[in-house]
Amino acid sequence: MTTDTSKSTAKSTKNLLSAKEVTRRGFVKGAAVTAGVAIGSGAITGFPTIWAQNIKNVTLRQFGTGVSNINAVADKVKEDLGFTLQMTALDSDAVAQRAVTQPKSFDIADIEYWICKKVFPAGTMQPMDTTKLKNYDAISKLFITGKLTPDSEIAQGTAPHTVGFVESADSVDFASAPTQWMTLIPTIYNADTLGIRPDLINRPIDSWSELLNPEFKGKASILNIPSIGIMDAAMVCEASGLVTYGDKGNMTKDEIDKTIAVMIEAKNAGQFRAFWKSFDESVNLMASGEVVIQSMWSPAVAAVRSKGIACKYQPLKEGYRAWGGGIGLAKHLSGLELEAAYEYIDWYLSGWVGAYLNRQGYYSAAPATAQKFMSEDEWGFWMEGKAAAGDILSPDGKVMEKAGAVRDGGSYEERMGSVACWNSVMDENKHMIRKWNEFIAA
Amino acid sequence: MATTREKRPTSFYFLATFFALFVLFLYGPMLTIFILSFQGESGGLTFPMNGFSFYWFGNLFEQQAVGDFGGSFARSLKLGLIVMAVTVLVSFMAGLAFRKRFKGDSVIFYLAIASLIVPSILISLGIGLLFNIVSWQPQWFTSALGAHLTWTFPFGLLIMFAVFNRFDPSYEEAARDLGASSWQTIWHIVLPMVAPSLIGVAMFSFTLSYDEFARTLMTAGALNTLPLEIYGMTTNVTTPVLYALGTVTTGFSFVVIAIALGSVLILRYRKGQKS
Amino acid sequence: MAFDMSKRSSYFLISPMALIFAIFLVVPLLTIVIVSFWDYDEYRILPDFIFENYSYLLGSSVTWKIYLNTFKYAALTWGFTLLIGFTVAYFLAFHVRSLTWQIVLFMVCTIPFWTSNIIRMISWIPFLGRNGLLNSALMGLGIVDQPLEFLLFSDFAVVLADVHLYTLFMVVPIFNSMMRIDRSLIEAARDAGASGFETLRQVIVPLSKPGIAIGSIFVITVVMGDFITVRLMSGGQSASVGLQISNEIGVLQYPAAAASAVVLLITVLLIVTALLRMVDIRKEL
Repeated sequence: MTTDTSKSTAKSTKNLLSAKEVTRRGFVKGAAVTAGVAIGSGAITGFPTIWAQNIKNVTLRQFGTGVSNINAVADKVKEDLGFTLQMTALDSDAVAQRAVTQPKSFDIADIEYWICKKVFPAGTMQPMDTTKLKNYDAISKLFITGKLTPDSEIAQGTAPHTVGFVESADSVDFASAPTQWMTLIPTIYNADTLGIRPDLINRPIDSWSELLNPEFKGKASILNIPSIGIMDAAMVCEASGLVTYGDKGNMTKDEIDKTIAVMIEAKNAGQFRAFWKSFDESVNLMASGEVVIQSMWSPAVAAVRSKGIACKYQPLKEGYRAWGGGIGLAKHLSGLELEAAYEYIDWYLSGWVGAYLNRQGYYSAAPATAQKFMSEDEWGFWMEGKAAAGDILSPDGKVMEKAGAVRDGGSYEERMGSVACWNSVMDENKHMIRKWNEFIAA
Repeated sequence: MATTREKRPTSFYFLATFFALFVLFLYGPMLTIFILSFQGESGGLTFPMNGFSFYWFGNLFEQQAVGDFGGSFARSLKLGLIVMAVTVLVSFMAGLAFRKRFKGDSVIFYLAIASLIVPSILISLGIGLLFNIVSWQPQWFTSALGAHLTWTFPFGLLIMFAVFNRFDPSYEEAARDLGASSWQTIWHIVLPMVAPSLIGVAMFSFTLSYDEFARTLMTAGALNTLPLEIYGMTTNVTTPVLYALGTVTTGFSFVVIAIALGSVLILRYRKGQKS
Repeated sequence: MAFDMSKRSSYFLISPMALIFAIFLVVPLLTIVIVSFWDYDEYRILPDFIFENYSYLLGSSVTWKIYLNTFKYAALTWGFTLLIGFTVAYFLAFHVRSLTWQIVLFMVCTIPFWTSNIIRMISWIPFLGRNGLLNSALMGLGIVDQPLEFLLFSDFAVVLADVHLYTLFMVVPIFNSMMRIDRSLIEAARDAGASGFETLRQVIVPLSKPGIAIGSIFVITVVMGDFITVRLMSGGQSASVGLQISNEIGVLQYPAAAASAVVLLITVLLIVTALLRMVDIRKEL
């Protein structure tokens, strides 16, 4: 078996010295001197810096969920930037734990914004100086001001821009307006909705309230990550008119209690087949026919469909529940490694990864740069809601959609423009989690 | 082997059937794994089958979209082997120590029992918290190793108790009468006699460590062991490559067990030759 | 005395084990106890001395429900593993006559455990699911005409997976006890005119008690602390004490998790103390 480190090392044989170098963190400082002799390929990468020669010996360790911790990205980093990116995929609980409790075990954290709200104040990460990022201006305004277009409304919940900036280089207090110091560089985001099996439901679905429709008794499912599940539950309760909310993204104790009461009643009536926690579980539940309606992510729907099983990412009149993730720097990074991390983050925004993510059905945080790496047909299908002219391929070259297909939910603006709320951490988080546990135990 | 064979009673056939059903039950999920590992290229982790292919076996040795089988497998294997070696050595030493009473022996004994019954997630939480509070970095070869050892030691010790409780000391006395030192006695007499049980301890501890999830959860540090890696991989689309891994592991296990069994037989054969 | 080894060598021999237990068992458990009195907020644990974690835990009806549920799983799993484990051990101890065959059969039972548990759990879904192997077979044979829904994501599924995982740990100690039973006792019982069943009840079961006790200790404690089986097999719809702890860890509420852990530990210790009254493990091994 080949480990990805050795594989990617083999690729960079351009630079003989670096190919021989053991890419281990401990050696970085010493090796910097010797490697300086090597003929650099900085010009090729398009990111020439004075560090370009030594940077090849750097290994950055990134962790996150499997959603964006993709080996192909590490390979491309090796190719374009020359250094090694070591990816560790974890489940969503472990991601938050590791960010807080093992600050030295990572260099780059790939986390969601609502997790950032909990993690960043712990002081294990450092904000990024946006003036060092050439592609900063390419970042969607959604992450800077919270507005997709100047006249859109800001959705409820932990919207990324609310935890996107801190006051100063060593502050852990979130800034209310954009500053020079960014906590996470947005990388990936999406709008979630209900996924359905149209072949087993046979009628139009247009509201979140359908999740609790007795018609689907024993065939419904919901996401069991409290901070996200509660938002799905709130969308359902609001749509059915059972509970009214001041702000779904920051519920009062009373609103939480009412929401959970509705969910417990549904659970005891046997509405749910199972709860899912990982991407894979949602795919398996749907593909195996255990569940016909559940809250779902766009790429999970795509994954079911790629197995030849009908599955629809169903736009709903109440709008979407959105989530976003980004990458941030560990507190301990400094010197050469910090430079490398900045290069990596700037590169992340430069389009290749954006195109890769777009092709999976997520959205890139810098759409304009991603467009340069996508064909017109791909861009039209994924971003503009147009019918595909040819077959649409997944990043690894498998056919995902046949020619003529139109993406569920339409264009980027239609989807991200109808976000009702973001995944969030509420003021009453402790209470919410206790109530959620009650729901699970009921 | 057996010279006098009585006729099998009816209960034998009844019980043999029961045992066969039990084995079938144990292999039930393996059957699904086996069938689905031949899933077609576009097939998923569940039925229906989408064609038939060897695609996923080839895929097992390629880079996955997410995660790293090679690295985590190597780590789990190394960790399992270290745990195995340490458990065999330390349990054997402890087994020898417990043949005599010494001050604090019951403390150690009850610690071992405690170690057996404390839920795995508590060990994980405790070590994770401890390392966090004193700012040590968890690593698979330090904290996770320790966490696994608290799981394998009790088994090792209990097996050693079972062995030494039935151990006939007359062989050692004979050796001593012939002038052997105590270390020579252990090396030449005791060790060969308990060797089959030590192989049992070895296999048991390897199996426990290789598949341990809860105890590794908060103690593995920056790099994942195989069970953690597989769990992490389920945060993206997983494919029947997981089943291919299961099928290959089972096949490989049969080979390892054949080797282990072979070595037991050889040991016994040698012992038979000596006596 | 078998050896002329001094007490010193006993201490030398036991020291590695003692050291590992001290660092990786005793100190971590003490840490948990201490942290259970600490406070916490969204992302930090704050050294303190409060009883809030315990007062919430013990005052919440959820806790009692979860404990009841966990006891239910433990009791059911214990019952089934005992019945199956005893029968299997009896077969291996009294009907399989050569040691080699006993070893081979044990090995055959061990092999499934070398495929990662996570993979095996995932594979229950295509086996027990609505369109799974079992339902297809039952429907194909005309035994049922609707797929059986209770097979998966239910208490049945949790207990099934637990029995699947832990029966072997019941078999081994019972087998060990049975192997120590003097065969002449059984002969004697038979000569005295006892039926097979009477021999079983009067001789074999009482003499297998130590093994039964050890197996029970193991199975019960492991089920009490389990979280991954419950989560995956109930489809996240049931709770257990271990799962509660794991959830609390997941949302960074370490002090709350530590308090739950201490309560669980005390519960388990009480159960085990009760079981240990039945048998002196050290002598009976």
